[in-house]
Amino acid sequence: MSQPRLPKCVNKMSKPSNFCPGCGHSLTLKNLGFVIDDLRISSSTIFATDIGCSLLAWDYFDIDTVQSHHGRAASIAVGLKRALPKTTVISYMGDGGGYSIGLNHLVGAARRNEAITVILVNNTLYAMTGGQMAPTTYKGESTSSTPEGSFAKEDPFLGPEFLAPICHKEAFLARTSVDNPIQIKKYIKKAIQNQKNGNFSLVEVLSYCPTNWKTDAKRTINFFDYLKGFYKTGVIKGEQ
Amino acid sequence: MIFLQTEDEPAAGFGVLGAALGGKKSWTATAAAGHLLLQDAVVAAEAMRIPFVAYIGQRGGPSTGTVIYSQQELSIARDGGNGEGLRIVLGPSNLQELYDLTILAFDLAWRYHLPVFILGDGYLSKMTGEVDLSAKARVVKADPIVQNGKRVMNLRNCYSLEEEIARVLHRELKDYGSIAKEVEKSEVYKCTDAKIVVFAWGSVASATKEAVKKIRKDGHAVGLFRPITLKPFGATRAKQSVRNAKKILIVESAFGKFGRLVTEALFGISDIEVERLYKPAEGITPEEIEDKIRKML
Amino acid sequence: MNSKILIAGEGGQGVQTIAKILIKAAYDSGKKVGYLPNFGVEQRGGVSLAYIQISDSEIVFPKFDKADFAIILARRAVKRIEKNITQKTKIMFDNSILKESELSDFRVEKIAIPASRMAKEKLIPRVFNTIILGALAEELGFINEKDLKKSLLDHIAPKIKERHEIKHFNLAGLDLGRKTIRDISGR
Repeated sequence: MSQPRLPKCVNKMSKPSNFCPGCGHSLTLKNLGFVIDDLRISSSTIFATDIGCSLLAWDYFDIDTVQSHHGRAASIAVGLKRALPKTTVISYMGDGGGYSIGLNHLVGAARRNEAITVILVNNTLYAMTGGQMAPTTYKGESTSSTPEGSFAKEDPFLGPEFLAPICHKEAFLARTSVDNPIQIKKYIKKAIQNQKNGNFSLVEVLSYCPTNWKTDAKRTINFFDYLKGFYKTGVIKGEQ
Repeated sequence: MIFLQTEDEPAAGFGVLGAALGGKKSWTATAAAGHLLLQDAVVAAEAMRIPFVAYIGQRGGPSTGTVIYSQQELSIARDGGNGEGLRIVLGPSNLQELYDLTILAFDLAWRYHLPVFILGDGYLSKMTGEVDLSAKARVVKADPIVQNGKRVMNLRNCYSLEEEIARVLHRELKDYGSIAKEVEKSEVYKCTDAKIVVFAWGSVASATKEAVKKIRKDGHAVGLFRPITLKPFGATRAKQSVRNAKKILIVESAFGKFGRLVTEALFGISDIEVERLYKPAEGITPEEIEDKIRKML
Repeated sequence: MNSKILIAGEGGQGVQTIAKILIKAAYDSGKKVGYLPNFGVEQRGGVSLAYIQISDSEIVFPKFDKADFAIILARRAVKRIEKNITQKTKIMFDNSILKESELSDFRVEKIAIPASRMAKEKLIPRVFNTIILGALAEELGFINEKDLKKSLLDHIAPKIKERHEIKHFNLAGLDLGRKTIRDISGR
């Protein structure tokens, strides 16, 4: 059976969405919406966004949503979940918010095994502010703060791999990519199930940002495939 | 009560916000540089009108780790955000008030959906004394903001256009103005005939009142004006309290943070002499204040 | 009656413990009390002050300038409390820690208690502060002995659970302090 064009839990009033053409957020959110529809949890789900482009999802869903500040989407999700343990709390952020300014909160939430689901869209730079270098920026990658290409000698930051050793044994950590909707849905479903079992979960979605990458469709796909060579998709902790 | 040891102040602050959104009374406490970090969450509370309570135990700054005492965090509490500072700041002057105003803080935060600070200090945080706990707490119920059973909430704190945020601010400022009239609170002690009115707040006001009482006993017309809400600040009552005064004295354990509020409130009164007893980050005893007032008689 | 007591020592000596036990006993004896600990970030070694007020009327402000009693237990604390000593202040100090000559600037009544040495020789070093507590309570005169013992035992209850003989050493320390004052004053 073919799926409808948009999930039922999407707020139709917010369309057309605020994301740039070709942005990976729209695809990620759409697939998240399908999972929420499938699990029939839209009325008991709370969606907490960060800032950065993720905040543009503040009215994407017809679901309780709250926006937080840069890096704090995990913290506000922790408070929500502690107050309303029966709800499904999804914390939605980008790589700048999650792996840079808010990494401390991801570490804290992961170590304490907070029963929240983090969905982190990784497009390898700070997109909303104009495409500056992030901890996820690839060596040599050209960004607005590294116009000649990043001189960073260190490898880009691997979030799920970093969190894996400090997580509770029941935590679920995975990386998927925005061009693989079946896997996105599968992992998000597992992540939400893991939250229902009382454990922490994080799904990183490797994504594209043609606007800040300054790439046309073909070069976007090329760079994306190149990134996938480093950012390996799959389950990093938990059941396959 | 659930206690959660978080990794830092932003986590504590946003955790408090999350819990408040979920309909649970929640709060946090910090001081100094931690207070700066907490402001991140406070402006979110301000912007999205989420109840928020924080206790601040002011300590000596700009140092970190000078854990004893100060009144230097007044400006951060009042205006430490990147917005218009739409919050309520309460200044308890003794342990009893610390208890009573903490109850009030929860009531105000959940009544008006605003951030409320209980701006204590190292003395109030650490001292031991007698407190009457018999007063029944009358506090507004905490209803959930999200999952409220009525409608889906999409809360944001980001606007694309300056006109858009200006509209929101205009509405919020107007609302705050009417809230301010309801919550403004100050103690005016023997000011009616006072030739000298002393301005002080918090612990320092307790010491000041003691000094004022002593000097009154000798027949001198001295009074005390003490704001209990440091924000909103009762400027009208402050002005009224100096109607017959020739001099005022401002006493604080900071270098003019409170003094600037007072002089702003009294702006326009030109025939009054202003004296200051500023001791940044240091306690001020009743004896010192008494000495200072006596010199002004 | 309003007694302003300033205990000045260093971190780790049990200055704040003396204060906590004393004010609880005074409170139970029907007095109004106020206590303000004052020390830096060090857990050990820095100057540690305790401002205590015991009164028949309400305590308005936790800190004071002029002490009625100053209990000096460490050399490095002397400078910090100079300004709190007036001609009417009574000083109690540990003369096994600092010499009387070190306090010669203060021309006031002084009571010397070799609490540190007594604790080491007769009991255990840790009860040094309990000896001071007993001496101070005796000197103040208005603290009910039963209340003081109860306050002390409540405070150290968790330690007694671990090591029962702690109870004996502390009660003996309290008595030793009281007795020393009685002997000095010929009571």
